[in-house]
Amino acid sequence: MGKINLRMAEVQNRERRLGTIIAWNGTASDLHTQSSYQQRGSGCKTNKDGCRLCEAKGPFTQGSVCSEQMVECQAGNVRDAVLIQHSPIGCGAGQVPYNSIYRNGLAMRGHKVENIRIINTNLQETDMVFGALGKLKQSIDDAWERYSPKAIFIGTSCPTGIIGEDIESVARKKQEELGIPVIPLFCEGFRSKHWSTGFDATQHGILRQIVKKSTKKQEDLVNVISLWGSDIFTPMFKEFNLRVNYVVDMASVSDLEQLSEAAATVGFCYTLSSYMAAALEQEFGVPEVKAPMPYGFAGTDAWLRELGKVTHREELVEQYIAKEHARVKPKIAELKKKLQGLKGYVATGSAYAHGLIQVLRELDIQVDGSLVFHHDPVYDSGDAREDSLGHLIEHYGEVPSFNVSNRQQYQFYGLLQEVKPDFILIRHNGLAPLASKLGIPAAPLGDEHIAIGYEGIVNLGEAILNILAHKKFHDDLKKHAKLPYKQWWLEQKDPYILAKHPELIDA
Amino acid sequence: MAVTKNEHGQTNSINQVRYGCAVGALYSVVSIPGAVPIGHCGPGCMDKQYTSLAFYNGFQGSGYSGGSVSPSVNAGEKEVVFGGEKRLDELIKSTLKIIEGDLFVVLNGCIGELVGDDVGAVVSKYQKQGVPIVYAETGGFKGNNFVGHEIITTAIIDQYVDKYTLNKDHREKGLINVWSELPYQNTFWRGDLSELKRILEGAGFKVNILFGGKSGGVEEWKTIPHAQFNLVVSPWLGLKTAKHLEQKYNQPYLHIPVLPIGAQQTAAFIRQVVEYAGIDPATAESFIEQEEQEYYYYLEHFNDFYSEYWWGLPATYAVVGDSTYNLALNKFLVNQLGLIPKRQIITDNTPEKYREAIAQEYQQLAHDVATTVDFVEDGYIVGKLLRETDFGHKPPIIFGTTWERDTAKELKGKIVEVGFPASYEVVLNKSYIGYRGALQLIEKIFTAAISASA
Repeated sequence: MGKINLRMAEVQNRERRLGTIIAWNGTASDLHTQSSYQQRGSGCKTNKDGCRLCEAKGPFTQGSVCSEQMVECQAGNVRDAVLIQHSPIGCGAGQVPYNSIYRNGLAMRGHKVENIRIINTNLQETDMVFGALGKLKQSIDDAWERYSPKAIFIGTSCPTGIIGEDIESVARKKQEELGIPVIPLFCEGFRSKHWSTGFDATQHGILRQIVKKSTKKQEDLVNVISLWGSDIFTPMFKEFNLRVNYVVDMASVSDLEQLSEAAATVGFCYTLSSYMAAALEQEFGVPEVKAPMPYGFAGTDAWLRELGKVTHREELVEQYIAKEHARVKPKIAELKKKLQGLKGYVATGSAYAHGLIQVLRELDIQVDGSLVFHHDPVYDSGDAREDSLGHLIEHYGEVPSFNVSNRQQYQFYGLLQEVKPDFILIRHNGLAPLASKLGIPAAPLGDEHIAIGYEGIVNLGEAILNILAHKKFHDDLKKHAKLPYKQWWLEQKDPYILAKHPELIDA
Repeated sequence: MAVTKNEHGQTNSINQVRYGCAVGALYSVVSIPGAVPIGHCGPGCMDKQYTSLAFYNGFQGSGYSGGSVSPSVNAGEKEVVFGGEKRLDELIKSTLKIIEGDLFVVLNGCIGELVGDDVGAVVSKYQKQGVPIVYAETGGFKGNNFVGHEIITTAIIDQYVDKYTLNKDHREKGLINVWSELPYQNTFWRGDLSELKRILEGAGFKVNILFGGKSGGVEEWKTIPHAQFNLVVSPWLGLKTAKHLEQKYNQPYLHIPVLPIGAQQTAAFIRQVVEYAGIDPATAESFIEQEEQEYYYYLEHFNDFYSEYWWGLPATYAVVGDSTYNLALNKFLVNQLGLIPKRQIITDNTPEKYREAIAQEYQQLAHDVATTVDFVEDGYIVGKLLRETDFGHKPPIIFGTTWERDTAKELKGKIVEVGFPASYEVVLNKSYIGYRGALQLIEKIFTAAISASA
């Protein structure tokens, strides 16, 4: 593990920093052993690329997601800032989904609902030849004139990366001229094999150019690195006399400025929070709460106790834990009766999946399989308390079919055949429609906070009951839907066969 | 280089995009039953086009070969530095092994075009082996998905239809190829195209509708050269394809700029096509009579509401959207409902050469009603123009997109989402055109107008 380097304008991508992989097949404990979290966290380097995990990549791939999209859903969701996409119009199509998410997120958090503020520079063929810094400058001026933003982010794109636009110099000049942060975010889709690098790119820019360097502290303020999920932390933290500073989505620029003044930083998912939380500790002395993630009793207990320790509120935390255990346990007992005998499956981002499996096991739901979109063998702090996969295995047991597949639907088919779940938990589009055609209902988790903490166990149990009722719809559809895969593929037992035997495509 | 502003203050900047890029035409491929797109592009390109065009636009869905099904090379640093031809080759080979399809369409994106990958060379190897596969140069900087759509239709015609159609010189009287709405971009394209097909069949034609559930898929495309003529029903989209077919197969085309909505427009439309085709008008006339009987049966009942509703109905409107829907709605709203046009904005980046002819159509909406139209793509300017419009003493109806929700609220008006993106509409087979669509449109407009009144 190297230190986070905020002097460079470009963020170091995940595969180089953490050894992230996007294709793997085996058991959870095998993946954990091969990840060797502790060794990696203490800085081992077995070869020039860091300790590389082998990756089961084959010749066939389906469309995935890119880093720029994560920049849109993070930097684009800062309330009084503007994001400029320096790109052809196609990247701008992302404004549509992220606007919908932004509007619903604003409503969920009680903010005024309004359209997302993203401007596309609309690059055309001649710009590819002659460059388009003039258009970038114009769009920055347009952003300033239209919205008087408190900060302007500039996201790069595959074409601007390839033609080598000098975005940094334009940003620097405009920052001086306008007197607000103008922040380049390097997020070309081809730069990293996994989109989560886009989270880091946004956070890197914020850490470099927005976070205040002041030494002032607010001892009751806690940074919560999250997306747009419902506000479950304010009432929880009130019990400990703590206030929440939500970042990055839905934050204002001043919320971002005060990141350095907080007493602690927490995250609900290390995939998302790893970079910023570690950098805040390293560069600004804001301690990161290093603990298992707050899912299930074991995870939530440990997470709260660590938060109590870091913010010196141990006693209040203990009272809360006791009170909440007593409150939710009867509800969970009731839910368990209704959920008895069910098999679940989790298909989400990496650390989040670990947390959700914990909650399912807490509800006595069998989880034999999971698909994660990527795997980070270690998180940025390198601290073993954040070893979320290790925590899952230690406290909640093995997951026999544990696979990394970057939203590859053709593989998901085989994985479902192997595990045959009654329902799946899912985030990100593309996999649930396939499950549905197989008669398996999916609970799409748009509100990422739904499963957090003690109440999260109850929430998730109820959400599962609700979606199981949808099964009637999916069973009906199953009889009529045609899958796009050839019989040869549908009959394969191993969804990773082409990675292991690429020569099969010549047969 | 300094950027110049146009008369509305539009620069290069685009807020609130209203179309995808040329690669977005992968959804034109998805909309042909049996066809499968293959993206030679970055990892996020296909997902962006999916989530915007097919998901948060009426939640139309990915269907057989869209969404996460579509193969993509997901180009990384290696392909950027060393080129991506080898990677594309193995992707095509493995796609043929895994995915069931009647036709594969390779779309080259920004990365492949910029690093100079010879996608044609890779694909032609498969073509020579008899694989039904074509390629198209659809780099995102080439233009929007309207442009991409015609690049793709031309590619399929030239590289597939031309090769596999038997008896290309054979013409069948009464068979028409229809080129109209842009699939997925037009939120209601599926319902609209099936209504268009129903109307034309009712009038006595055989119809190659080419896209959507009523299309015969790739097999139907192979009969394109057999059609008596091409019918372009839109202000401009499809003209390029029709002209190409004219040159290629000496196949004539009829251009009707107004997509018909309501009884008047639809009857006029049918008569124009019948006359052009030179077929016996008897079938068409009896179809029109039958349809009008049904249509006016409903309007007669609607009349009580329209003339007696106590709590007021909107009188003025604005339309923001693609040229096809924009013009069609205007003709209908003015002529059938007697509403008053106040601001019309076309957002599809209509090629310059067609703009004047389209503007002329707005000059003759009815014998006594004329209006002007603005061509704007930047949502910020759209909002500004709407707010500057004098809608009179009653709040207007805004026919627009999700982007207009905030402005409609500010104007205290009603929003009816009729185009990309329609993120607060769920659309299955809804149609707003022809006879049946017009009735649904009336229901939608006035439900929106009165549902919030108490």
